[in-house]
Amino acid sequence: MDSGGREVTVRRQKIKKNRVKVRLIIFLILAAALLAAAVWAEALCPYDPYAQDMSAALQPPGPAHLLGTDRYGRDMLSRVLIGARSSIFSALLLAGITGMLGTAAGVACGYFGGAADMVIMRISDICLAFPSLVFAMGIAAVLNGGMKGAVIALAAVGWPKYARLARSQTLTVKNSDYIAAARLSGSSALQIIFLHILPNTGGPILVTAALDIGTMMMELAGLSFLGLGAQPPAAEWGSMMSGGRSMLQTSPWVVLSPGLAIFVSVALFNLLGDAFRDWMDPKGPGGHG
Amino acid sequence: MEDRKPLLEVKNLTKVFRRRGEELTAVNHISFQLYPNEILGIVGESGSGKSTAARLAVRLLDGTEGEIFFDGQDITHVKGRELRRIYRRMQMVFQSPATSFDPRRTLGGSIRESLKNAGLPRGERPARVRELLEMCGLPGEYEKRYPHEVSGGQCQRAAIARALAVSPKLLVCDEATSALDVTVQKQVTGLLAELRERYGMSYLFICHDLALVRDFCDRVLVMEKGRIVEEGPAKQVLLSPRHEYTKKLVESIL
Repeated sequence: MDSGGREVTVRRQKIKKNRVKVRLIIFLILAAALLAAAVWAEALCPYDPYAQDMSAALQPPGPAHLLGTDRYGRDMLSRVLIGARSSIFSALLLAGITGMLGTAAGVACGYFGGAADMVIMRISDICLAFPSLVFAMGIAAVLNGGMKGAVIALAAVGWPKYARLARSQTLTVKNSDYIAAARLSGSSALQIIFLHILPNTGGPILVTAALDIGTMMMELAGLSFLGLGAQPPAAEWGSMMSGGRSMLQTSPWVVLSPGLAIFVSVALFNLLGDAFRDWMDPKGPGGHG
Repeated sequence: MEDRKPLLEVKNLTKVFRRRGEELTAVNHISFQLYPNEILGIVGESGSGKSTAARLAVRLLDGTEGEIFFDGQDITHVKGRELRRIYRRMQMVFQSPATSFDPRRTLGGSIRESLKNAGLPRGERPARVRELLEMCGLPGEYEKRYPHEVSGGQCQRAAIARALAVSPKLLVCDEATSALDVTVQKQVTGLLAELRERYGMSYLFICHDLALVRDFCDRVLVMEKGRIVEEGPAKQVLLSPRHEYTKKLVESIL
């Protein structure tokens, strides 16, 4: 009786685990499709995204221009496709840089402690005390615009979150017996960090980074919208929306198509991050330690 | 035995933990010697400072005061590379076998880490890992297992195999048999006794099981509140204790 009940539970857990896995795989495929579209954007573009054609300016979506044209007669579909490249890759790059910087700082603070720990964590407190987007705008403005400036600005305000997470994770792992055993095995601090601490703390950090990609994409688009990121005529979703905002009532497609592109990709990356978290969570149905 | 040079000598070792202004003296001016091929037991109730003393002796913790000599060398303040060299002659086995292995690495992987750091060429490592596991009574295939895939006793054998990877002269066992049930405990102490015969190793054996200490150790130290209150041959101390605390300890357990 008892074992029968347990079997049912086990089977139910297995089904749940499979569902989580299927969800993760579906979103991974969709994200891969999005990335592929960004990589091969040039081949997919029906028109040159920078070619101006004043005779075809501000045409509504139709068979010739699926998403219409902007005020210079540039094909919106082509511009959205090309814009995917800078928007998505900048967001991925930003998540990577922020995650790595924050993790490096946090693990070092947690493992070595001491005065450096104090100083770095107080700096991160100061960073966290500012409203992050306002702070990022300030830094981006000082760096004089450009996509590179926007990425640096957002990385500068984003790292404390990862530093705190990595530090607390490191502190819980640091005093375990297997770290002591590794020291007795003759491993140096760096070896211990790379072989034992990072593999055992990386899960939650990766999940946070995955969940953050969407937000970062939006923040980048926001900075570009404000003119602090990508500069015209570069095709970037945020700056495209900004450029078309005066025509929102007369030719809404100029704003809506990049807006929709942001919406879809942010949603996709958020769902992917969610699925990834469920899959990584050892206590959840995924059961993956 | 007394005329030989001690392998491990601890002089006036003290450890004070400071937390939020409060001071706790976990180990209070203890001194002892451990001679080659000897098994020295440390007994005492929980909180008496046995484990702290063990961790101080292998330099996992830094002492507040006192000196530690190992193999004639002052190791009280050695650090980094020099300390790692000491760890090729001095090893430790922990109380909880499951948490003394990295949950994300195989048992073999953790043992290989030690062999790699000791400078054994890559090609010779797999054979040596199997040899070590088999020496400790585990099938060689267990190198591919993860810590949660083996029982506590098997995991402790693997932990001993890892400690033996560098052929140490001194093995510190911090309650190494406490988490195991009685039959497995017998097997593990049997293995340790056999290894002592074969390699002439010495053990610092921290344990709260007085019967086990009486049978297994040559000499014993009794600790109470961070101090050593009685010291002598294990059978003598535990069968006819002189100090009040030891008497109480023996009465309450045996």
